[in-house]
Amino acid sequence: MSTEHTITAPMPGVFYRQSDPTDDPFVEVGDDVSKGETVCLVGVMKNFHDVTSDADGTVSEILVENEDAIDVGDALIVLETEE
Amino acid sequence: MSTIERVTLPDPRYEFGGDDHVFVELDEAMSFDANFEAMAITQQLRKKDIDGIFEICPANASYMVRFEPETIDPHTVVETLKSVAEETDLSEYQWDTRIVDFPVLYEDEWTHETLMRFRDNHQDPDATDLEYSAQLNGFDSVDEFIDAHAGAPHMVTMVGFVPGLPWCFQMVPKDEQIEVPKYVQPRTDTPSRAVGYGGAFTAIYPVQGAGGYQLYGRTPLEVLDTDQNLADFAESMVFPQPGDILDFRRIDRTEYDEIREQIEAGTYEYTIESVSFSPEEFFADPHGYNEMLTEVLRG
Amino acid sequence: MITVSRPGVLSTVQDLGRFGQYHIGMPPSGAMDPFAHRVGNYLVGNDEDAATIEMTYQGGAFEFDEDRVVALCGATMAATIDDEPINMWEAVSVEAGQTLDIQYASNGARSYLAVAGGIDVEPLMDSRSTYTLIGLGGYEGRSLEEGDELALGAPPEGATDRIGSAVDDEYIPDYDSIDSIRVVFGLCDYRLTDACKERMTTEPWTVTPDADRVGYRLEGPELEFVEREQPFGAGTDQSNVVDLGYPVGSIQVPQQPIVLMQDAVTGGGYATVGTVISVDRGYLAQKRTHQELYFESVNVDDAVAARKAQQETLAAIRKSLE
Repeated sequence: MSTEHTITAPMPGVFYRQSDPTDDPFVEVGDDVSKGETVCLVGVMKNFHDVTSDADGTVSEILVENEDAIDVGDALIVLETEE
Repeated sequence: MSTIERVTLPDPRYEFGGDDHVFVELDEAMSFDANFEAMAITQQLRKKDIDGIFEICPANASYMVRFEPETIDPHTVVETLKSVAEETDLSEYQWDTRIVDFPVLYEDEWTHETLMRFRDNHQDPDATDLEYSAQLNGFDSVDEFIDAHAGAPHMVTMVGFVPGLPWCFQMVPKDEQIEVPKYVQPRTDTPSRAVGYGGAFTAIYPVQGAGGYQLYGRTPLEVLDTDQNLADFAESMVFPQPGDILDFRRIDRTEYDEIREQIEAGTYEYTIESVSFSPEEFFADPHGYNEMLTEVLRG
Repeated sequence: MITVSRPGVLSTVQDLGRFGQYHIGMPPSGAMDPFAHRVGNYLVGNDEDAATIEMTYQGGAFEFDEDRVVALCGATMAATIDDEPINMWEAVSVEAGQTLDIQYASNGARSYLAVAGGIDVEPLMDSRSTYTLIGLGGYEGRSLEEGDELALGAPPEGATDRIGSAVDDEYIPDYDSIDSIRVVFGLCDYRLTDACKERMTTEPWTVTPDADRVGYRLEGPELEFVEREQPFGAGTDQSNVVDLGYPVGSIQVPQQPIVLMQDAVTGGGYATVGTVISVDRGYLAQKRTHQELYFESVNVDDAVAARKAQQETLAAIRKSLE
């Protein structure tokens, strides 16, 4: 049985899918991620902060475009998780 | 004999900064008249120790105070500042200050590396900051330009931005003063203790960080010692004080390294002499007056 | 003692600030929202200047090794003690061995954790505030990290009698609904055209992600300077002035405006065009990145009146808690 799990923004700021414009994104749709793994960055107060997955699963949807403005609690990434 | 051309200051502008600051602009342009006026008024204010005023900040051609409006009404602050200004007469004024030997390694490798990294932020990407400044100010060579910068002392006319950063205004007639623009785009990096120039001011960067001034060299001396290890920082973690006179002296890498070693060991003592500064005498014969000042230092 | 088990994005030890050193470039630092900081201290029976922990955007988790009365004031942050939810703006008891876990901010940007006895770091120039830019004061001059151990001062007498006392709803600010920030225009606002000054108070400003304790960088209408031949010493850009002192709360205009906050740079060469009044600096500090606000022009007497009104509110809160 698979269910959906949504990773939300822990702080407001700018959403980054990779740590450097020339790097590959942390995750793509279809990637498996494990709990604690960095899935994106939020840039705020002149610093970048890792956002880590709070579950094991497979990325099914990335809801925000790179460098979009996000607020606390915004849904960022959807995972399919095995129950 | 060249003199400092006196400037008649416009009427000062008294401006409220919210409910708790008054900012006073003495002139829009920089001049010794404006700076000495700011220095004299703020020194008098400090002596008066007015209840409620808790920050007194002289600046290049302006000054600012911060106060508690519960203790002193903002309008009363302005009246007080006006009356202090009225009582202050520069022609009779002189103050005790100090002249300090300030070794500088011009064209050092660290600021050179930094300025080359940020060429895209600069007016003239094909020249160094020194080459650009020398050319802009009509010098034939970088060496001549450095000789001019180190050739007459500089007065600390303001301290701030971050703790310990002095703005220094060279004590020469206006037609001898260096003037350069700041970077088109500020750098995101500057080495600590870098000696830079922007507008008509030399600045010394206390710590590594962003900056927009043209970079000329690096001093081995600290302007900020947060741990107060060095003897000259016993009273304050910041060395330069408004009114200090800094005598920049061109040194070589060997001397730079020797001084750094002593600074890092905490044993270095700054070469400082106390002097009484008279604006009138300085205005009348700046070169002669500077010579007298530096003689005190070099003994 | 309390141990930091999760620090949050930016959590620092702050009191009401460090004064008397602005002329050597030392900003006051201290709580960005002094109202919330003060009320937190009232609730636990501290002096209003006792050090609290300021948490920005995200709360932290703190493990207590002794019983203490605490209060959480400021931006809305859901909080639990060993998984039991607690109220904000209320004196709450934490027992030895328990963990206070504070989540992210929803209404506002910053919250203050006041602990009876205060956070006991070594004062520097009479203040326990942290100034991270130079690495001074507070806890090792930096924001808190996992594993940091914070000493506490001796709790004030009768602190435990306060458990359960709470601030009346009418006094609790609804930060997200405050979008008008009052400004005394002036300083060097002669550098801006009249049309530009008009736009500054009629069009909205958005807080940028760069906004921090040094300054709130805003984005909004294009600024327009009065063309002039630059005075001697100012530098060539139209935004340049002969370097001058920046009031705390002043709006400098390198292009888009920056409002200088508690860790302000104390001076520099950009024109300043007005100053956010002291009361509203605290409200501005509660704006999150991307939020909108408007500048409202007031005069110095309005600014003093607003300050007096806030002091009366603080006195009323204090009295209600006695």
